[in-house]
Amino acid sequence: MSSTSNSPAFGRAPIIRLQKVTQRFRVIQERPDTLRELFSKLFRGQTSYHDFEAVRNVSFEVPAGQMMGIIGRNGSGKSTLLKIIAGVYRPTNGVVQVNGSIAPLIELGAGFHHELTGRENILLNGLLMGYSKRDMLERQQRIIEFADIGDFIDAPVKQYSSGMYMRLAFAVATEVDPKILLVDEILAVGDAGFREKCFERIRKFRAAGKTILFVSHSMTDVQEHCERVLLLDQGSILIDGRPEEAITLYKSLLTPELVATQ
Amino acid sequence: MIDLIRNSYRYRELIWALALKELKIRYKRSVLGFMWALLNPALLMLVLTLVFSSIMRFPIPHYAIFLLSVLLPWTFFAQSLSYAVESIVTNGDLIKKIAVPKLVFPMAALISNLINLLLSLIPLAILVPLLRHPFYWTWVYLPVPLLALAIFTLGMTFFFAVANVFYRDVAHILQIVLSAWFYLTPIIYPLDLMPAKYHWLFKLNPLIYVINGFRLSVYYGQLPRAQSILASFVCGFISLLIGFSIFRRYQDSFVFYV
Repeated sequence: MSSTSNSPAFGRAPIIRLQKVTQRFRVIQERPDTLRELFSKLFRGQTSYHDFEAVRNVSFEVPAGQMMGIIGRNGSGKSTLLKIIAGVYRPTNGVVQVNGSIAPLIELGAGFHHELTGRENILLNGLLMGYSKRDMLERQQRIIEFADIGDFIDAPVKQYSSGMYMRLAFAVATEVDPKILLVDEILAVGDAGFREKCFERIRKFRAAGKTILFVSHSMTDVQEHCERVLLLDQGSILIDGRPEEAITLYKSLLTPELVATQ
Repeated sequence: MIDLIRNSYRYRELIWALALKELKIRYKRSVLGFMWALLNPALLMLVLTLVFSSIMRFPIPHYAIFLLSVLLPWTFFAQSLSYAVESIVTNGDLIKKIAVPKLVFPMAALISNLINLLLSLIPLAILVPLLRHPFYWTWVYLPVPLLALAIFTLGMTFFFAVANVFYRDVAHILQIVLSAWFYLTPIIYPLDLMPAKYHWLFKLNPLIYVINGFRLSVYYGQLPRAQSILASFVCGFISLLIGFSIFRRYQDSFVFYV
């Protein structure tokens, strides 16, 4: 089920390609965090660990301009998958190819420093995402307008409400004109007005032909925005296809007994 | 090595911004703010001068200058390491969420301390004539030992930053190593004070050559010999080569350990 032949965008050049990607985490029980523990472990000759595959043999291609939803239960590997694409993790096995700049909206405001002002954070966050100072200064005004937090822009972000924090982070991440947008469950926070603003921006991104990977637990959002959906379970792709099929299967995973009675 | 140069050039703006951030945060919420970067060494100098000119008298004229000419570079070395050793771990949250080149963190720690060192040379330059110590033209030579010291320190920061990711004891061990290193290096005393038969032991200390460059040019008004300059750079590049190779080898696994 992992081929893209059934995707509506078949024929367009892939902008993201994953081949047999596996991400293994070594979960060490009582990992020797200090030398003392290391020595005591060495002398006793035991290190207990187990390997855990957060993403297992996943292959897919995303053509440029597609909006693909990624759904699955908690712990199914959605976030790990996005982080692999974003380059945070180098996968244990497999090949990842990404042709274009990425704006990871994985954990908004990850690069913010609490003591710095909003304005200083715009620059720092942009630099962390690999943009140049010039890029960021050019866009600063538009970012501030979108974030719409008034005079707070020159206050340290630790004084922000979580909504303001989110708004600024979203503005920074999306104003930088990436080719690929990775959205991880971030729109769940924020009020209705801000949510609407974000989706408006996502629609604009789609209209501009950008590629979007959208992780969400809101099936309504996935159904409404995505043309293709990947359903993950225990790190593997269960289905890669139309939103309706994937969502139906997902719901049956959540409540198997409910489906059985239908 | 080419990798290091290319990446530091590519991320120069980020490194610079992170270094400034570090300084900003260090001096934030203090009334005098950035002035502390100048005041701190100035006050230290004042204390040292008072102590060594009236309370403890050494048979070395202008002992304060003698001491400060190498104490300031040493402070840079020790502070850079103390900051850098934690730099990967404290930025762990960032590393887990953003694909960011890891080398920027130890480099930023180094740069912010280098700025501090350069600023601390200003009060030193004021103190020298105040104490009626001659102001030698050899001050212009200072960029050379500064460069050698920065290269040496950078290699060490890479090494300690990596080691601390895997074993958090390293940050504590480093403090012990630094204090031992401080006394084993001719900083508070001249090398001549040691019996000549032990000099070869001191010459195993990679810092001695670069330290020598600072003291000669500021305190004695002389230039070091060519071998000494060469030795300081050789030590620097060996440190950088080892430190960065280890860093590069392990940087992809940081994300699993921070």
